[in-house]
Amino acid sequence: MKKRTLFILSIIVVFAFLGYGSIFAKEIKVLSQFPMSGPVGSLPEFGWGYIDGMNWVNGEGGGVNGKKITWYLEDFRYDPTVEVANFNKYAAEHSREELIMATGYITGGLKPLIEKVNVEEKIPWLDGSYSTEIFGEEGGPSKYPYYYSLGATYGNQIKVLMRWIKDNHKAKGKPKVGFVYSPTAWGKDGTPEGIAYAKQLGFDVVAEIEYPYTATDATNECMQLRKAKAQYVVYHGYSGAASYTAIFFKTAKKVLKGVQLMGTHYTTGRFPILVAQEAFDGYVGVATRPFLDAVPRSATPMDNPMVKLAHDFAKKHRPEEYEKGLKAGGIKDMFLYMEGLTYALFIQKTLIEADNNYELSREGIKKALDNMTWDFNGMFGGKVFSYKSHTIPMMRIYKAKVKMAKIQTAEGEKMVPTGAVVPISDWINTDEIKW
Amino acid sequence: MIDLLQSVGSGVLVGLVYALLGLCIVIIFKASEAFNFAIGEFLIIGSFLFYTLFFNETIPWHKALQIGVVIFLFFAFILFYDKNLRLRIAFPVGMVTGLLIFCFFFFGLKLSSLITSPLLRFLLAFPLGLLAAGMFGSMVERVTIKPLLGRSPISMTIVTLGLGFLLRACVQLIWGSHSYSFFLDLPDITLEIKDLLFLSDPIWAGILSLIIFGLVIAFLFRTRWGLAIRATSEDQAKAMAFGINARFVLLLVWGISALCIAVAGIMISNFGALSAGMGFVGLRALPVVLIGGMDSIGGALIGGILVGICEALAGAYIEPLGLVGFKEVAPYLLLLLVLFIRPYGFFGTVRIERV
Repeated sequence: MKKRTLFILSIIVVFAFLGYGSIFAKEIKVLSQFPMSGPVGSLPEFGWGYIDGMNWVNGEGGGVNGKKITWYLEDFRYDPTVEVANFNKYAAEHSREELIMATGYITGGLKPLIEKVNVEEKIPWLDGSYSTEIFGEEGGPSKYPYYYSLGATYGNQIKVLMRWIKDNHKAKGKPKVGFVYSPTAWGKDGTPEGIAYAKQLGFDVVAEIEYPYTATDATNECMQLRKAKAQYVVYHGYSGAASYTAIFFKTAKKVLKGVQLMGTHYTTGRFPILVAQEAFDGYVGVATRPFLDAVPRSATPMDNPMVKLAHDFAKKHRPEEYEKGLKAGGIKDMFLYMEGLTYALFIQKTLIEADNNYELSREGIKKALDNMTWDFNGMFGGKVFSYKSHTIPMMRIYKAKVKMAKIQTAEGEKMVPTGAVVPISDWINTDEIKW
Repeated sequence: MIDLLQSVGSGVLVGLVYALLGLCIVIIFKASEAFNFAIGEFLIIGSFLFYTLFFNETIPWHKALQIGVVIFLFFAFILFYDKNLRLRIAFPVGMVTGLLIFCFFFFGLKLSSLITSPLLRFLLAFPLGLLAAGMFGSMVERVTIKPLLGRSPISMTIVTLGLGFLLRACVQLIWGSHSYSFFLDLPDITLEIKDLLFLSDPIWAGILSLIIFGLVIAFLFRTRWGLAIRATSEDQAKAMAFGINARFVLLLVWGISALCIAVAGIMISNFGALSAGMGFVGLRALPVVLIGGMDSIGGALIGGILVGICEALAGAYIEPLGLVGFKEVAPYLLLLLVLFIRPYGFFGTVRIERV
């Protein structure tokens, strides 16, 4: 009888301990948000890249020194209020010890969360925003200690474009530059810094035009630029995938002959080749990632290890979507997929460093981020960046080369745009530039 | 002076497209006193139907099959509701039409392979695309508007609001929500006189919109069915008493309206690209019809041109002063001004209601 009682008691004690352990074991929780639908269009690729990346991290990738990450993914529909509400919900539902890192994607979401993230929650927040106001000289780590951007600021992007103009201006007289930007926080961010820098370099800033997303016609804007005799036009604050970009480039090609069109990260890439076709040819833009997804995709150079990794991932985990490409339900632009994957790999790298050197807590992650130096799997041609400025200060200048070609497709013979944005500079570390 | 001419000219060209959108609202309003809030979604669907034909853009088999089944169900259960007719006519007709529609979306017409000349391809695809858009409009009317015949026009208007959401979701499911490149490659008729420049695409948009506008007016005022539509718009009950099939008139009006919206959609898409998110353009018709008068066809033309000019002038002269976004608001300010002076618009019928 005694033996039986002892046996039962010991089982109860063991289970109690196990139960206690499972209840009180600290989980590693991470929240990520991407604009997968809404006014920027349908971009599930962000999510696919992130999901495949996080599944790999928790599986083959070994997690965080063997510990698995509990990750949450939300589509905030390019709506800052949704992004803010999602974060508030997760912050309320999960303990500070468990929810130790969060990511977002737009400036509009960062601004209302300044107090919440940096003062109340003190949670490291990675973002796709390249806001100059938040990550530039006026903001930065001293003002927003928990905000981190995964790219160089728009201000620096435009300044790099100005330096390109300075180096490549061949016409007589001072370069005449026009600025076209969207009437949004995004469009206005970085433009004043760019204009000031253009003036500092001795350029004539001949036009500053706000061109809205709801435009059905860009004749007036282009005529204003023509009248001002602009030689270079910086187009900033726009998605390269949207109709308004196609309208602007199609009109500019006819009205602004011989004018060099330029732009920032989100206008550079594969999408404008598809929607604006030959009107996009000759465009010069900066990008903070290796934008090498050619049209057709088979022509994509695979010499960048991160690009190769993203393509291999997509082929393995999303073969159907990869193959479909531009068709509905396909991976339209590998940048989007790579971006999701990038976030997953970056989160893993940060958490491992925090686990190794500091602790798996919000403060430990902040320390790990502040002290991070990394080549990001060779993404920047082997160059290493430091995260001291809370931005990945790397960018590259690209030039669009687009040509129409007759191609045999499943639907028959078609004239389709072919080409890519081709790098015309090495990777530039803006932390190393003396402006 | 050159700047003024440039702005007014550009405004007129875009305004003609707006006028066509206004016309679509006016003819539906005249026939049923309802306002079609789903105009933006009709614009997108009409453009996509043309796009499928002109650019030979096909969709996956399972989506094509779903559309085919919807068409079959429509013919089998909605168009022919008579039980005797259903087995003998509706089912076979539905099957054949559903199959044709499935083939259309899955295989395409291969026009881009068969006809290399963009102009010839356009001349063939344009009427076919418009016909498809017209049929789509008629189908929508049969399913959503006809059951409300005889009810308050407000019910119909509210239905169009819901219809807009439903159609937008359908478009996103079928074609996704990314942008599609849209190059009609019509002959270049760019007009350049010294500093004046009118690009080919807006000129084509203005010309085609004006032609379609003229054709609709000719149809309304020179044909028997046009007469029937006008009679029904005057007094539905009396028209029915005289033997006019008011139900068919409504079907016809929705078909014509969808066709005209498609023209506007195609022209606007040709300025840039086609995407599921461009439905907001349809709502530009709102100030157009309110300025011109809700029941005036001529008013739609004048309203459209006024709105186009107003937008262009605001963009050229007021926005550079720092009032950014004024171009978007300007038509509504003009609308307010007009409504203060003429509450029924410039050419709208003044209604006197005695209590």
